[in-house]
Amino acid sequence: MDTHFAQRRRRDLIVALCLAALAALAPLFVKDVYVQNIMVLTLMYAALSQSWNILSGYCGQISLGHALYFGLGAYTTALLFTKFGVLPWFGMLAGGAISALIAMALGYPCFRLRGHYFVIATIVIAEIALLLIQNWDWAGAALGIDIPMRGDSWLKFQFTRSKLPYFYFALALACIAWFVTWWLEDSKWGYWWRAVKDNPDAAESLGVVVFNSKMGAAAVSAFLVAVGGSFYAQFVSYIDPESVMGFQFSLLMALPAVLGGIGTLWGPVLGAVILIPLTELTRSFVGGSGRGVDLIVYGALIVAISLALPRGLVSVFSLRKGAAR
Amino acid sequence: MTISRRNVLLGATAAAALGPMAARAQTSEVAIGVIYPLSGASAQIGVDAQRAFETAADIINKNYDFALPLAKGEGLPGLGGAKIKLVFADHQADPQKGRAEAERLITQDKVCAVIGTYQSAVAVTVSQICERYGVPFLSADNSSPSLHRRGLKFYFRASPHDEMFSTAMFDFFDAMKKKGQKIETLALFHEDTIFGTDSANAQTKLAGERGYKIVADIKYRANSPSLTAEVQQLKAANADVLMPSSYTTDAILLVKTMAELGYKPKNIMAQDAGFSEKATYDAVGDKLEGVISRGSFSLDLAQKRPMVGLINEMYRAKSGKDFNDYSSRQFMGLIVMADAINRAKSTEGDKIREALVATDMPGDATIMPWKRVKFDEMGQNNFADPVLLQYAAKNFVTIFPEQAAVSEAIWPMNK
Amino acid sequence: MTAETIIQSLASGLLMGLLYGLIAAGLALIFGLMDVVNFAHGEFLMIAMYVTFFLFAFFAIDPLLSAPLVAAALFVFGAVVYLLIVRFAMRAKANAGMVQIFSTFGLAIVMRGLAQYFFTPDYRSIPQSWLGGKTVSIAGIYLPEPQLIGAMLSIAAFVALYFFINRTDFGRALEATREDAGAVALVGIDKNRVFALGWGLGAALVGLAGAIMAIFFYIYPDVGASFALIAYVTVALGGFGSVFGAFAGGIIVGLVEATTALILPPSLKSVGIYAVYLLVVFIRPRGLFGSM
Repeated sequence: MDTHFAQRRRRDLIVALCLAALAALAPLFVKDVYVQNIMVLTLMYAALSQSWNILSGYCGQISLGHALYFGLGAYTTALLFTKFGVLPWFGMLAGGAISALIAMALGYPCFRLRGHYFVIATIVIAEIALLLIQNWDWAGAALGIDIPMRGDSWLKFQFTRSKLPYFYFALALACIAWFVTWWLEDSKWGYWWRAVKDNPDAAESLGVVVFNSKMGAAAVSAFLVAVGGSFYAQFVSYIDPESVMGFQFSLLMALPAVLGGIGTLWGPVLGAVILIPLTELTRSFVGGSGRGVDLIVYGALIVAISLALPRGLVSVFSLRKGAAR
Repeated sequence: MTISRRNVLLGATAAAALGPMAARAQTSEVAIGVIYPLSGASAQIGVDAQRAFETAADIINKNYDFALPLAKGEGLPGLGGAKIKLVFADHQADPQKGRAEAERLITQDKVCAVIGTYQSAVAVTVSQICERYGVPFLSADNSSPSLHRRGLKFYFRASPHDEMFSTAMFDFFDAMKKKGQKIETLALFHEDTIFGTDSANAQTKLAGERGYKIVADIKYRANSPSLTAEVQQLKAANADVLMPSSYTTDAILLVKTMAELGYKPKNIMAQDAGFSEKATYDAVGDKLEGVISRGSFSLDLAQKRPMVGLINEMYRAKSGKDFNDYSSRQFMGLIVMADAINRAKSTEGDKIREALVATDMPGDATIMPWKRVKFDEMGQNNFADPVLLQYAAKNFVTIFPEQAAVSEAIWPMNK
Repeated sequence: MTAETIIQSLASGLLMGLLYGLIAAGLALIFGLMDVVNFAHGEFLMIAMYVTFFLFAFFAIDPLLSAPLVAAALFVFGAVVYLLIVRFAMRAKANAGMVQIFSTFGLAIVMRGLAQYFFTPDYRSIPQSWLGGKTVSIAGIYLPEPQLIGAMLSIAAFVALYFFINRTDFGRALEATREDAGAVALVGIDKNRVFALGWGLGAALVGLAGAIMAIFFYIYPDVGASFALIAYVTVALGGFGSVFGAFAGGIIVGLVEATTALILPPSLKSVGIYAVYLLVVFIRPRGLFGSM
């Protein structure tokens, strides 16, 4: 292992710890719930995008159907709680496990597909799931699931006004997703993925192990996204098929990583920190006109960043610290 | 109140929006949050809603000679003539965004009440947040019956819900049967959303109770690229009455597709939505002669209550459209809420809630055909009688219930 | 279920399928030319429908007459989009695939916002036109004239496209540029010009589809969304790189949609389309007629 790489990894870990500590202190200074709400969403999208990045960035299997796992996580938690009284903490794990299994079952036939065939397959599978839930009366169908609020409780993970518990959970999830990515970068899976990216011929000789590692990546990615979905169900305390499984959610999950820097450790975090506050603020303060100005700003920004910085916003930083690469 | 004083207060409200430390907005201006879709697929509804709310605020804030609460005199006399200030927010039909916007309006803009939301899914989360902050929420135009049955203390709805609307339809069928018409079979055509599902559930239940046979129950995907297969099944069933629950897009496509496939339904009894939108009649009005839609508003009322026509003129000057079922309910939503705030003589949630609970507004003091506005313990106004309107000679005329009707129903619509 | 219902379903499905094919043709052409999937394809369709609507509203030009005008307008629009955005997306040295997806996706959002800004979010439609609401009835089977004309136009467009690609100099230049952009530069073909014309042509095909659709469909800023996914599935099902594949894909999608609605509740009819797509690519990973 070259020393630059080891140095960079150590530095990344220290930076991450510092950032996490700073973020953990942020609520001491930010008391406004609207801003806290934006912080929760930013952390949630950072976590989701980081998880998406494991499969789509590092493995190069671009999924635009991750809303499937998000929705599975949200629905498993909400259904287990409202129908059987199972606490959301267990629902979260169950949703994660189910999603990981489904991701592997789907990965088996889908990883044979290349490029756009794979992308469209992921979109279409998520759409099928959306339509099935939308027509499944027991699961609330279009009516969705309203999670009853019975006062603050850590056990049931619901809080009437305070955003802090949600904030710390989202922060923890973002840290876990980041750490898993950090750890994978240096694992044998990480090496294989890099090898395959640098040298397509290597893919042939590594065929089986790479395939297995992709299955693993799909499972890890789906598990974390599903936990994010469970979190969302608790945070919003109401879910319906369109709002947790719609196609736009798959895109929203991918956007921070794409704009921040796909296949990079810091891309999703950076992308989420810039993108989410921006979308929330433009909607709140420009969207009220009813004339679509917020859409124009938002769309133009996506076009501009993806054209100007194909490696993502993170490339602006790594240029300055070129020595580390 | 002088202009300069108002400017100072506006400045103060702006400051309040910037920092959480600022004091609760002064009572000389009462901020009310209005949450609608202002971008995305249903943005037009939100834009029309803005005009309806502005019309209502105008009537409250300025002096008009209408028999409507708060029309006479300027502002809210109970709060020293304080003016209503509307704060609009965009929820983009997303429950999560609706929730976040409600919270922002309550905590930053210090609104003392919230009105919304068009989409029922968003009303679920917005009303939840209002409950948590003890701020009254008024469903101006949500018709999902599940909304008021969730045990919320701060939830209110002055207008009817889908079960009340559907009951009126079946009352009408029963009345027509007594007059010797043959009505035995029904075909339901509804979208796969909360609105469509609730509407179909209510209709299925009523059909069972009153002995009508449902020969086709077509649930379709909203905004489908084609409705050909759906229309074929309706055509094959050829029920005595077709009962669509569809928004504007699908309503237009449904009517066009029916014409293309040579299907003329004997009668159409629509659950409002797309069938009360001007865009639908601009597009396919010629094929809709005789269609009946439920509604909670009728311009016919202007004959008995001239102010309805005058207020409609005010709205048309702003929006270029006549009041329809949605905009009229939105208009009334603000009047009912402002009336309660005025009586509460306070902008505190609990006091406004008490005033809302005590609301008893006679039907004459509204622009609606309602008996009165009086909320039950769940916050639902059960005196909001729906009406049935028939589209005839390019106009909607009230045909049911009898006390509101101005003309006989044309039945069947297509022989 | 009577035989008449089944025949009517298949006939309607076939007509709709040919129209899906026409909508997807431009997407297939652009992809075949330069491996770029245009995620703003649905919005191109939306613009075409608005152009048709405004030509009707302001100049009373029937959609049937305005179709060539709409195609021409979209041709210019497509070429401009290539020159202003896609050209740069293709130059990306890293993550080319993602840059293309998200720059065109961002464009789609901007186009929706602009449509809302300039045209308002209100629903429009063309109430009276030569073909609107007219229908041909053969032995109890109804064939709406707009869709019938659309289907014929679709067949004609695909035939023309076939000859264009295989029998003209420009078509050969397109093919050659696709295969080796560097080599064609040596023989004096400007790659950007060829690609811009390719985008123009692809957009012009959507223009034709939009003009026909405007006769019987409603128009509003988000209308493209309903058709975009169907167009992607159509092209992928037929196989990327094959224009004929889009034609076959369209027909299959139309027929599958119609038959699924006979078996399952209509709200699930798209599930049939998606399931057939998955089935096909799991057996043939390059789609039915794909070359890449």
